[in-house]
Amino acid sequence: MGDDCEGLAEECIAYGADVAVYHDDERLERFLHKPYTEIAAHMARGKGTVESTDWRDYDEPRYILFPATNNGRDLSAKVQAELDSGLASDCSDLFIEAEEVSNPVKTGEPGVKKTFEKVLHMKRPDFSGFEYSTILCLDNPGREFHPQGCSVIPGSFEPIERNPDRDGLVVEHDMDLEDDWFRVEITDHDRLEAGIDLTGHDVIVCLGRGIADDPTEGMELGLELVDAFDDAALGITRGIVTSSYQFEGHVESYSNEERQIGETGQVVAPDVYIAAGVSGAVQHKVGMDESDTIVAINTDPDARIRDFSDYFIEGDLFEVLPRLTEAVESGGLGLEPEAVADGGDE
Amino acid sequence: MIGGHRHAKSNHTVAEGTMRSIVLTKGVPDFSEGAVSFDEDGHLERGKTPTVMNPNDEFALQAALQTKVRHGGHVTGMSMGPPGYAEVLQGAMETVYADDSYLLSDRELAASDTWATAITLSAGLEKYQEEIANVDLVFAGFKTADGETGQTGPQTCWAMDWPIVTHVIALDIDPDERTLRAKRLVEGDIDEVETVEAPLPCFVVTDPEFEPTYRKASHRLTHKELRAETQQRAANHDDYLTMWDHTDLNLDPDYIGLDGSPTIVSSVDPIPKAPSEREATMIDPAEDEMAPVLEELQPHAAEAGD
Repeated sequence: MGDDCEGLAEECIAYGADVAVYHDDERLERFLHKPYTEIAAHMARGKGTVESTDWRDYDEPRYILFPATNNGRDLSAKVQAELDSGLASDCSDLFIEAEEVSNPVKTGEPGVKKTFEKVLHMKRPDFSGFEYSTILCLDNPGREFHPQGCSVIPGSFEPIERNPDRDGLVVEHDMDLEDDWFRVEITDHDRLEAGIDLTGHDVIVCLGRGIADDPTEGMELGLELVDAFDDAALGITRGIVTSSYQFEGHVESYSNEERQIGETGQVVAPDVYIAAGVSGAVQHKVGMDESDTIVAINTDPDARIRDFSDYFIEGDLFEVLPRLTEAVESGGLGLEPEAVADGGDE
Repeated sequence: MIGGHRHAKSNHTVAEGTMRSIVLTKGVPDFSEGAVSFDEDGHLERGKTPTVMNPNDEFALQAALQTKVRHGGHVTGMSMGPPGYAEVLQGAMETVYADDSYLLSDRELAASDTWATAITLSAGLEKYQEEIANVDLVFAGFKTADGETGQTGPQTCWAMDWPIVTHVIALDIDPDERTLRAKRLVEGDIDEVETVEAPLPCFVVTDPEFEPTYRKASHRLTHKELRAETQQRAANHDDYLTMWDHTDLNLDPDYIGLDGSPTIVSSVDPIPKAPSEREATMIDPAEDEMAPVLEELQPHAAEAGD
């Protein structure tokens, strides 16, 4: 859906689609909830392509996938509501196989098992990164829930290699769009400044929820260590982004998503990665485990991050960070030769 | 004597131009460090993990409070969940603002997925409009800390067939024109901010980047007064709380709870603890063991005079 999107439909064929259906309208240049929902649902019901129905031998899609972007998530929720079906959001893995189910709501009878064929298994990280859930969207005996839908975290799957010679059918969708669907009007749009790029630095200091006792001071201590290095930047975990910590004004700007490291944030691989008060959720790990040297500071010796750290300083970041800052500052000035100066020499 | 406290069910006559808002909130497990409880297999023990308000709902409440400060009116907190979730609504009233609270609570609602939840919440909103007052704005937060779906707001709105504006980071209302103007954040390959206009009544989903603004001194004073009032109310929250069950809401049991949910959770697996990939050298900062770490750090130190 969009304004002049036939070319995008053709791109879909090049990337592996057999059929690409598109709807062009100049009013659809930017995403709008109501018309996009109405069109997508209309397409899913197999309508709007009267002249060329021979491309399909079935009526309605069995599965429907959306991108888990801001607009894609909204669209997924609305379209599935319109189609009276369910969905899982922010999936990172999908597979289709039969599933034997004993849930009486789905089988119709307690104690009876029923096998559902070709079920889309939708795996998603849940509970703020502690667990994976596998979600199924299954018909009730008296009520169909189709299509089975989900939104997929961008980048979760490798794209199929583009092949411009691939054959496929491009179908234009036809539907009258009611004026009332355009009651929300976009009057202006601005591109945001490119956000903060944490990649390419020698050192990253990353703060996690270990700063909870005094978030502002924790942030200040992290920034002081960053400043002690020649080329370093401050990162934070998703736990900080989603927290309700009250940061004081001068450090608050460091607490938002643009500094998040991990699966839904940035992926970094500095020479030295210092993780202070970071427990080490698997989503965080994917954002930093290519770093050369990983130094963890944590009070809990069983924290997961220990398994992917080179050094684990078992201590309170509020005490350890200032010591590191002092040591780097004095070491950088060459005032403190210390025993370590000999360490790397032959 | 001047008679008792105001009652949650009282139907105030709304002065023209004032805004009536409902804020949808949800209780979630407290994920802050140390509060989360796991069993031996690494599964989250929900019963032992305290319930708190979804942190992102705070932004929805802030948007409703900003609306009340600027235009007057009434803010209602609404949630669906077990009776204990009254504490979540109390927390919303105490930490941000609410004039009263409505809890949609019924055994039949257990195990609702987002679709069944949205149907229930929309029934609550409709009953509120029929019996209490017409609503100008419904606010919801973006995503909850447990399910992280971000779907309930848009699906509840679908059931109402109201206009919707999501990912709102700034909000202005024109009560005379009955319109709102919002800035919304669109994240993708490139990040954009859209300015949108929509008619009231409207559904507003706030983004965690939402920031209330109070430029006038009088607004800042009103804000302070309203905050003091709401904290007092929260201390006697039961007096401001209304509970509705599925018969109050006139809901068909087939369309709510587990029966009305298209999706089921087929399995929950702890995210596997990967085998150690690095052999961490343990360092006790109290002892003189920091040297090898410093050796790693010092080559990257800023030059003197930097």
